[in-house]
This record gives sequence, C-alpha cells and structure tokens, in this order.
Amino acid sequence: MSLVAFLWDTTLNVSISIIELSMVIIPLMIIMQIMKDNLWLDRLTTILQPIGKRMGIRKAGLFPLLVGILFGISYGSGVILQSVESEEMNDKDKVLVAVFLVLCHAIVEDTMIFAAVGANGVILVMTRILFAFFLTCVTSRQFSQTRRKAYEN
Amino acid sequence: MESIKKGFWLGIRTTGMLARVIVPVYFLVALLSRYGGLEELARFFEPLMRIFHLPGEAALVLVLGNVVNLYAAIGAISAISLTGGQLTIIAIMLGFSHSLFVESAVVSRVGVPVRITLPLRLGMMVLAGWLAGILLGGVA
Repeated sequence: MSLVAFLWDTTLNVSISIIELSMVIIPLMIIMQIMKDNLWLDRLTTILQPIGKRMGIRKAGLFPLLVGILFGISYGSGVILQSVESEEMNDKDKVLVAVFLVLCHAIVEDTMIFAAVGANGVILVMTRILFAFFLTCVTSRQFSQTRRKAYEN
Repeated sequence: MESIKKGFWLGIRTTGMLARVIVPVYFLVALLSRYGGLEELARFFEPLMRIFHLPGEAALVLVLGNVVNLYAAIGAISAISLTGGQLTIIAIMLGFSHSLFVESAVVSRVGVPVRITLPLRLGMMVLAGWLAGILLGGVA
C-alpha cells in the first residue's frame, strides 16, 4: 500500500470510529441531562438506600455515589466534592464511597463505548458492580472492627 | 426541550474531546503497525499478556488507557484486531483501572489517599483480568 493510500485509509477508518462513538455518546448525554434536570437522581437515591445500608454507607453518601456511578469521577467531581465538603458525610462514608467509585464509575458511558467496539457490555457492567460492592462491604467491615478494637482498648 | 438541547451540545463537545484523543492515537498505532514497530512491541509483551489470554499488542491498549484515558485505549483498540472475548477482558481490566493521573487527583481531594486507591485499582485490574482471561480467553 502506498503512503497516500495508507493515510487515506487510516483517516477514513478513524472517522468511522468517531462517528460510531458519537452515535452512542450524543443520545447518552441527552438522557443524562434529562435525568439531571428532572431530579430523577433524588428518587434513585431513595431506591438505593437498602443497598447503601448493606455497604455501610449512610444516606448522605448515596447522592455523590450515584452521581459518580452514572456520570463518572471527572464529570461528577463537582457534585462529589461539594457533598464531601458539606460535612454531612463522616470519614467512613467518604472512604466507602471512594472505594466503590474508583472501581465502578461512569458505568453508562464506559460500558457503551466498549460495547460500541465489540466488548460484552453486560459482563463488563456486572463485573464492575459486583466487585465494587464486594470490596466496599469488606472495607466497611474492616472499619467496624477497627472501631470496636479502639473501643475495647 | 431545554434538557435535550443541552444534552445534545454536551454530546457534541464530548465527541470533539474524544476525537482529539482518538485521532492521534489511531494514527500512531496504524503507523507503528505499518513500519513493524507494533510487531516488535507485541513480541516483547507477549509473555506478560499471556497471563490474561491477550495478544502482545494489548499491552499498548492497557498502558494508554491507564496513563491517558479510555478514549486513547479505544483509539488503539480500533487500530488493532481483537476477538470479542479479548475485547471483553480488556474492557474489564480497564474498567477497574484507567485515567489514573486525573482520577487519582480527584479522589485524593475527597480525602482518600492515593496509596490506598492506586493499589486497589491496579490489583483489581490484574486479578479480574486473570479471571476473565480464564473464562473468556477462548471466546471468539
């Protein structure tokens, strides 16, 4: 293949990839914006409460958790930092939310861009949620034990 | 209506941001593969990538995803050929660990130190990648 043909080919292929991704990202951003503007997040937070309890995260931690799970750490950082600074969250909430979120965030966007190139989105999203849930539970238990020990001493 | 308009422009902006990352990475990988550099790189990383049932080229994808971001990884993925199973393994690994510089900075501002989150993410990447490799390595 000549260099010109190669460059043309590459340009064409990369343009197709970007158009394909935009087909995923633009509708996704519209749906997320609608969710944000209609306060669906507040309602979802209430639904999340029993699961949060399992992981040892109190209500104050659930809103930043949900924002991070849906929108991601970078996009959601404003809301996440705001919640943290409001001082309604204690240290345990902060650590647990951080542990969950570093392992599992922006699940909609990440899953869709990987699915767009051919990965199995269901396996991807289930693996991330389950491992993050499990490790957050383990961390939570660790917290209670340290506290109990401190109390006994 | 206002939400749809705002979301649409946000989508366009995100696509633009992603294009700025994907285009150079895609060209870089295509050039590497044209002039043989990719083959050499792949041969070098093959023993390591075998842990995850991945071809040697996948090392490039993993490094780009962790150091730059997922869009850079997608750019590299589009430029090399992988099976569905391999793509899912990479997606799981990068799902746990990516954009480490930017995201670690944000998380450390929450008050959880990087010395906890970084090993957690890298450890999960390796563990989940190894498990996924066993389960999905042969999937076409």
